[in-house]
Amino acid sequence: MGKMERFPFVVLVAGLGFFLFADFVSWALPMFVLKDIPMKKVEDLAAEAKAKNTSAWADFQRLAMYYPEQFKKYYGEVNEKSFAKALKIGHHWYVAEGCWNCHSQMIRPVSNETLRFGIPGVSNTVSYPSEYQNELQAPVLWGTKRIGPDLIREAAVHNVDWQVAHLYNPQTTSPGSNMPGYPWYFEKDKNGNIVPNERGIGLLTYIMWLGSWEVKPTKEWALKQ
Amino acid sequence: MATTATATEVQVTNLVNYTLVKLHVGMGLFFFIIVALMGFLYSLQLDGIYPFPGIEFLSPGRVRMIHTAGAAYGFLVNMFTGLLYWAVPRFTGYKVFDEKYLGMFMFIGLQAAVLITVVAILFLGQADNVEWGETPWWIDPVIVAWLLLHAVQFGTPILKASQRAPLYVSGWYIAAMLVWTPLVVFMGNFIPRFWSAGSGAGAVQSTFIHDLVGLYVTPVAWGLMYYFVPVIMKKPMWSHGLSLLGFWGLAFFYPMNGVHHFLWSPIPMFAQYSAVFATVAIEFAVTSVLINFMMTLRGSAEVLKYNVPLRYMYTGAIFYWITCFQCAFHVTLTFQKVIHFTDWVTGHAHLIMFGTFGMWVLGMAEYVWPRLFGKETMYSKGMSEGAYWLLTIGVIAMFVDLTAAGLVEGFDWIGLNPWIDSVNFAKPFWYFRSVAGIMMITGLLMYAMNFYKTATAGKGLEAQLRNA
Repeated sequence: MGKMERFPFVVLVAGLGFFLFADFVSWALPMFVLKDIPMKKVEDLAAEAKAKNTSAWADFQRLAMYYPEQFKKYYGEVNEKSFAKALKIGHHWYVAEGCWNCHSQMIRPVSNETLRFGIPGVSNTVSYPSEYQNELQAPVLWGTKRIGPDLIREAAVHNVDWQVAHLYNPQTTSPGSNMPGYPWYFEKDKNGNIVPNERGIGLLTYIMWLGSWEVKPTKEWALKQ
Repeated sequence: MATTATATEVQVTNLVNYTLVKLHVGMGLFFFIIVALMGFLYSLQLDGIYPFPGIEFLSPGRVRMIHTAGAAYGFLVNMFTGLLYWAVPRFTGYKVFDEKYLGMFMFIGLQAAVLITVVAILFLGQADNVEWGETPWWIDPVIVAWLLLHAVQFGTPILKASQRAPLYVSGWYIAAMLVWTPLVVFMGNFIPRFWSAGSGAGAVQSTFIHDLVGLYVTPVAWGLMYYFVPVIMKKPMWSHGLSLLGFWGLAFFYPMNGVHHFLWSPIPMFAQYSAVFATVAIEFAVTSVLINFMMTLRGSAEVLKYNVPLRYMYTGAIFYWITCFQCAFHVTLTFQKVIHFTDWVTGHAHLIMFGTFGMWVLGMAEYVWPRLFGKETMYSKGMSEGAYWLLTIGVIAMFVDLTAAGLVEGFDWIGLNPWIDSVNFAKPFWYFRSVAGIMMITGLLMYAMNFYKTATAGKGLEAQLRNA
């Protein structure tokens, strides 16, 4: 027993050995199971959105149409590159603002969550590993607490007009909500209207991207020019 | 006799660097109050009466990250480091590696890292979406380096003591913690960002959330408990066998617990099952430790009546057992259906972090503080008792309230009512939580006032002895 109570034994067996064993079970083995899912970069996500003409791509075009002055100034043209830039900026501020403290990004297969957060008419509404295998989910944004609803299928729930009003002052669209307003994602354009700024357009693009890969583009989503 | 006493005292004084203990414990208490205020501020947003709407750097989401990251690095690391400077040299009989340069460097480095984190999160919009690792990723290498220095600083006396004789229980816990902590911080902050994503990252992040509690806070806290409790009661632990069982049970099962934070998630099920199994298993290890401490108390329970530090420690120990017992049930997949994502979890987190570890460090600090300043007791017995009761009743109230709120929210969500209903149903509970928060902050302020007065006012022990 004396040996068990010495520094080297404690440090090597408990300190290193047990820790590495636990890491093997809860990191290396899951990684091994998930290894065949391709890892996507933001640029890949943007290319995919354009190629599949997802609702997120349409919403990005909508933002360019609604706020031409700000969009031109901060993002230039609607293309894959500017879409990737908007996603990156939006994701950065989603993290930095602590949105994930109150909004989860994971639908569990229990507790009627598929009915509450899933997309009507789309079968696969439960969260699955491959939709998280990208640069914007490293570290993953599942969250551990819900004050507000889950956002991983947000693209199917509200449209971009709603999101703009809600981000500026949540109580206008959701009476009784205790979400704070985020006026610093907005600025005044040359006509004095309050419009999203660079960070705002990024955040809106990011939010409207969430779940867009599961939204079947219908005539409703297609942009009417 | 008098000569021997003086000789021992001189020896002990030389072993422990009082300045470092004072600095770390003082800063730890300061950050404790700050993070409590931040938590209170965030709770006001949930109540719908946030006092600073529309101010970017006081955005509730950012304030909440200061609450959690500040509790980890500002409050707990400071407090524990201060108490380690007191306890480690005393139970090993050797000084720490280097107190003059490394000690001061580590103290300043830690405060700088915390302050940079606060500025980065509030003003620069730099944060990391790892719960309890909200520190921006570019500050994390500094924290890992700091933890390596910390391992050298406290590992040296423990290694020296181990070469002479088998280590005391505290030595096992603290030695293992010194290895675990840098590994855990490195793993949790770098692997999910640079070497994995999605579900793999989720598995590592959940392991990090849990291991920072389980492999830093818990072992250092139990290590200190195994030192302070027998010292205060002036008798040995009841059973050495149970001490061994408790330590090795924790060491084997705790690291595997993490994935239970993401049950029903896209993480492969075997990892989820192993986490559930390990979490239920750890309950047995925890119970063995608790039996050991309760049996040590047997025959001396009246000490709790007048010894406030010891009472803090045993109150915390009971809260610890409640938390772990609760955990053995709510870690099951069945319970998770209802309580995951609800305020139940928040209540659980506050009971363990404030109710257990908060109470323990406050008790230990209250034992150490008068001795650091050569005072016989704390300045005011009344403030001491008042703070204890405010903190205890406050944290019980918050725990019961949030647990109930969690059940209300969970069943409301399953019932598919409009989302806003769950907010409205939870509001009374959130108001009550803020009130409990006010109680806890008042208790902390009373405690801090007592600390300040003990340090600055009242007669020193030496003066009294000289007059006698």
